[in-house]
Amino acid sequence: MSKIIKFAMMGFALAFFAWGCSKEKPETDPNPKTAEAPADSLLNLDALIADTLSADSLARLEAERLEAERARLEEMINRLMTEDVYFDYDRSDLTENAKRLLAQVAEILVNETRFIVTVEGHTDARGTEDYNISLGARRSTVVRDFLVAYGVDAGRLMAVSYGKERPKVQGSDEAAYSKNRRAHFRVSIANNE
Amino acid sequence: MNKIKLLFVFAALMLAVPSFAAIDTIAVDVGISVFQTMPIGVVPFEEEGKIKWTSEAPHLILARDANLSGRFEAVPSDQFDLVLFSKKRARQYVTGNATKLSNGKIKLDCYLYAAETKDLLLGESYTVKPYDVRQAVHSFFDKVVYRLFGERGVATTKLAYVSKIDGTKQVVISDYDGFSRRQITRDSSINMMPVWQKNNKGLVYVNFRNQRPNLYAITFGGKETPLFTQFKQTFSPAVNPKTGELLFSVTDGGKTEIYRGDMKTGSAQKFLHLKSNQVSPSWSPFASEVLFTSDRGGSPQVYAVGKDGTDVRRITYMGHYNERASWSPEGDRIVYTSMDEGKMNIYTCALDGTDIIQLTSNAGNNEHPTWSPDGKLIAFASDRGGNYQIYIMRKDGSSVTRITSGTENTSPTWSWFFDEKK
Repeated sequence: MSKIIKFAMMGFALAFFAWGCSKEKPETDPNPKTAEAPADSLLNLDALIADTLSADSLARLEAERLEAERARLEEMINRLMTEDVYFDYDRSDLTENAKRLLAQVAEILVNETRFIVTVEGHTDARGTEDYNISLGARRSTVVRDFLVAYGVDAGRLMAVSYGKERPKVQGSDEAAYSKNRRAHFRVSIANNE
Repeated sequence: MNKIKLLFVFAALMLAVPSFAAIDTIAVDVGISVFQTMPIGVVPFEEEGKIKWTSEAPHLILARDANLSGRFEAVPSDQFDLVLFSKKRARQYVTGNATKLSNGKIKLDCYLYAAETKDLLLGESYTVKPYDVRQAVHSFFDKVVYRLFGERGVATTKLAYVSKIDGTKQVVISDYDGFSRRQITRDSSINMMPVWQKNNKGLVYVNFRNQRPNLYAITFGGKETPLFTQFKQTFSPAVNPKTGELLFSVTDGGKTEIYRGDMKTGSAQKFLHLKSNQVSPSWSPFASEVLFTSDRGGSPQVYAVGKDGTDVRRITYMGHYNERASWSPEGDRIVYTSMDEGKMNIYTCALDGTDIIQLTSNAGNNEHPTWSPDGKLIAFASDRGGNYQIYIMRKDGSSVTRITSGTENTSPTWSWFFDEKK
């Protein structure tokens, strides 16, 4: 087994440790085998120390790269979580504006396969709690269906309804109502194995 | 202003008279009674030893019970006064004795007398802690109702509702008159839609701790259990008054449908096989039929269906938003919320949707009506006073009384009768 591969492996292992996420399980599997290899020669031990030292600096570089990556993802998540999809009164069909926005959202989600998204459906304050939960459910499902049709894996999308319980803007005029009739994205990153 | 009010009263009279001709307790606002409520004298209790009442003196509790009941009109008097009682046609009066005992308890002897003969019609004695005085007096008042009407009163019933506590919607219960409030939920997400389990042994409600609406059951003094966890989103619970069975809404794939489930086993089946969305189920008093709201006609409207889920018929046709219908305990009327130009108001109609009466108007939003178990009263939530509070009115819309205050209180549900020995 060449050193380069070993380096790469250690790098990966550390990177996953730092990122707190390991999605490619098979590549971490060889590690135990390396550790179990009989260290009966001094040469082997030296090589191992050298490997660790280099791995340290490599890990630092990797950490910087990951930090940049994290910042990029964070920004993307923030964008997803601030861009709400708005609806007309008592409607759950998508407006042209909503479709344009959702196409951009779908683009992000198709590329960022670790994003797990909960689509929350919300309504304005008018009407009953019960009917508004069903209306919110229709809104979140329409958004979810659009994203799935665009190619986002349905398993990463969950649609829920809050009805009128979580208004974004307080008030009882159209200005407030129109901001509250929305689908909102809640994003998390898959980090479980 | 007065003219408008008067016009409204006449309009209400015109509407009310034919529909309620057979019922003897209807009264219309501003003191003009169509069918007289029964005046009853209320005299302060004789007190032995200075008693500090935790909330109010017993006669004030009795007067409030009388005025809220929809059956009586209290005629208060500082002492027995036959002239006053005769003039006001109060043929009976209530009063009593209160004694402070050495162990800190209070002994209440409560009496119902015939005014003219001074015959004792009913006497009850209670020895209670100061905090339980209200409960004892309510108990006595319901015995008065039973003695004079042969029917059960609602003074010992309770309300469950949603109260905003530290910015979070929590489920609370209180006496029907808003006193003796107790917080039931403590979870920091959202708690809402409380309904009473059969025999009032606990509540079923909706909680959002899993970032979605889910039903939970809680037993008073006991623990909380998640219900029907096979579904992702559940809400709109309705308890069958006979069997305790639950009807509720399940949302899946954007479609909301009513299911029927057994709280004990957790099993549930689809109740209705319709293409439309369905919410807000409500059982008829003998659980033979069910009301629900469907958007099958393009807007939310009230429908009725047999208890086996067949024979759907539409009830409401007027307006574009009729929701949350519930069947009166007497079985003859339906109360529901209707929205017009963004304002919610409460209406009743006959079982076939005709004979519509608007109970609230020109007073903010009025919603979430719930019948008292004797069918005489309706509790509801209104923002007429600035923020949402719970109010009680008679079933004809008269005698509106606010029973809560403070931060927002919404979504009242009246308990069933509490079984008490007569």
